[in-house]
Amino acid sequence: MAEKGKMNVEHLGGVVRLREEHQKVVKDCESRILHWKKVSGDYEALNDRLKTLPDQLSYDIMVPFGPLAFMPGKLVHTNEVTALLGDNWFAKCSAKQAQKIVDHRMKYVKSELDDLSKTVKNFEARVGLVKDLETITSNKGDYVDIREDTGNSDIAVTKGRQRMAHKPNSKPKLDAVLDLKEEDEEDEGEGGDGGDGGDGGDGGDGGSRKGTSTEEELWARLDELEKLEELQDEQDRLSYNADMNGEDTSSSSEEEKEGDAAPPVNGLSLKPSRTSAPHSKEPPSSDRKAEEDDEEEEGSCLPTIFFSHTIEPKKVRINTGKNTMFKFSERKEQKELSKRKKKNGHNNGLSHHELHKITTPVDIYRLFVDVKNGEPVPRKSILKSRSRENSVCSDTSESSAADFEERRMIGRSFSHDETTHSDTSDGITEEEESPTAVPLHPASRFQAFSGTVVEKDPMPSAVPHLTIAPPALPTILERKQEEVAPDVGPPQQAPKRVSKFKAARLQQM
Amino acid sequence: MAEAIQKKLKGEVEKYTQMQKDVSKGMSARQKLETQLAENNIVKEELDLLDITNTVFKLIGPVLVKQDLDEAKATVTKRLEYINGEIQRYESLLKDLEKKSEQHRELLSSLQQEYQRAQGLAVGKV
Repeated sequence: MAEKGKMNVEHLGGVVRLREEHQKVVKDCESRILHWKKVSGDYEALNDRLKTLPDQLSYDIMVPFGPLAFMPGKLVHTNEVTALLGDNWFAKCSAKQAQKIVDHRMKYVKSELDDLSKTVKNFEARVGLVKDLETITSNKGDYVDIREDTGNSDIAVTKGRQRMAHKPNSKPKLDAVLDLKEEDEEDEGEGGDGGDGGDGGDGGDGGSRKGTSTEEELWARLDELEKLEELQDEQDRLSYNADMNGEDTSSSSEEEKEGDAAPPVNGLSLKPSRTSAPHSKEPPSSDRKAEEDDEEEEGSCLPTIFFSHTIEPKKVRINTGKNTMFKFSERKEQKELSKRKKKNGHNNGLSHHELHKITTPVDIYRLFVDVKNGEPVPRKSILKSRSRENSVCSDTSESSAADFEERRMIGRSFSHDETTHSDTSDGITEEEESPTAVPLHPASRFQAFSGTVVEKDPMPSAVPHLTIAPPALPTILERKQEEVAPDVGPPQQAPKRVSKFKAARLQQM
Repeated sequence: MAEAIQKKLKGEVEKYTQMQKDVSKGMSARQKLETQLAENNIVKEELDLLDITNTVFKLIGPVLVKQDLDEAKATVTKRLEYINGEIQRYESLLKDLEKKSEQHRELLSSLQQEYQRAQGLAVGKV
């Protein structure tokens, strides 16, 4: 502090001297300006006199006689002037010529004055600047010098402690609200350390949590965390690679896993662009996790659906409950779809490779390739693929039976999760074939569920999803309508909107 | 040893001050020349304003000597040339002097350091 003060004083001294010098220059210039102004005034007077002098032939004047005395005299030759030109040169000239000379001198004086005033302005500005500098350096006035002292170790320690206090709060949060971030879930799966590493910003917290008081410990902790992060990164990368390689043939469970691993990077980045559906309430990660999760979800997000619990095994759904299951699962799928669109890491056999993260041209290629018997077959139309990719609805609209068969096959080969999806598609295809017959199906097969389920389901689900489904009408029909329209391959958002309007219209009717 | 250095330093300082004096003298002379140049320029311009009917005088000592206008003009022009030459001469002189003084200043600073070291050594010896 004392040092700073001294420096300040020194600096101040310099500044003061600079200011004084500037002021001296300014004063000098001002005095010279005054002098020149006087000269110019004299010349003006002389000019006036010269103007009037030749008016008369002679003047009675008092002639100065030495410093004390005057004596009366007469001024003759009024038009005859001897002018000192300078450097001891004299010229005898008429009053008019003298006036010319005076004008010439006046010009010179004027230019001199201009120069001086310019100089004064310049130096006055400099003086102002120096004055500002002075006020700044002396820390008085409106100016505040922003100074930041380099980190005191004590301060750092206190900072760490504060953060330490934060950590315990955030930890339970992670557990309680694991919905918020799928990352969190992942991290939890990998362990608390992974979570720390993933959070990145928490690195410091981790260090402080240990209550490290010394810098070395802190740094050690940071290094550790960094390593962990690197490890995690590598894992992610590996899993991603595996995903790319084994997507076609590998079991759905594996894919699911991969999908889980992938999304934090991909899903986040894709979120803004792809999301058209309202944010789903459920945690996206959980829905992707497994079938059980899905079921739970359904329960949570569609509170009105009771049979979701009652109807237990998915196998049953697969085989028999085409319509009911279909509706049910369809909705689910819808939700999932919206999530999937966001996350893009879905596990549905088809959509899996379709909705893959697009990081390389290979991925793009994959988008438009169907897998038949484990071999990639290019699609006939990009539009088709796109619509299918974008929405389950489009799935339903897909009229190519072969494709569906193909898909179903894949789905069957996959785990139950997949099977449900494929099942849904099955149901949908059936619907498509005979839309009018749809309501009949439940009646014939699942008498108990048919009516109530069909009608009850769509309502609650439809409302939160801002979809469709007038209460009286079967969802399938509605779905169908939407699907047919966007078959050309519009972005996924379009069909939903259409459906919304249509729903409104229908409701009015 | 320190004393010798001190003597040398003193001599150099004297030389340096002399040089500085020269520089300032040159500066003032140059300034005077500048003013003379301005004055003579004015005279020349004003002489141009006159015509043959005007008589021109030169004040030499206490007397005004009559001069021919053309002659006066030629004289003034010559004087201007002379003044310009003088200014250039002084300019180069000043440059030279400044360079020399700069060198001398460096020499002086090195000498001063040497002297201080010598003094320190002497103190250490004592």
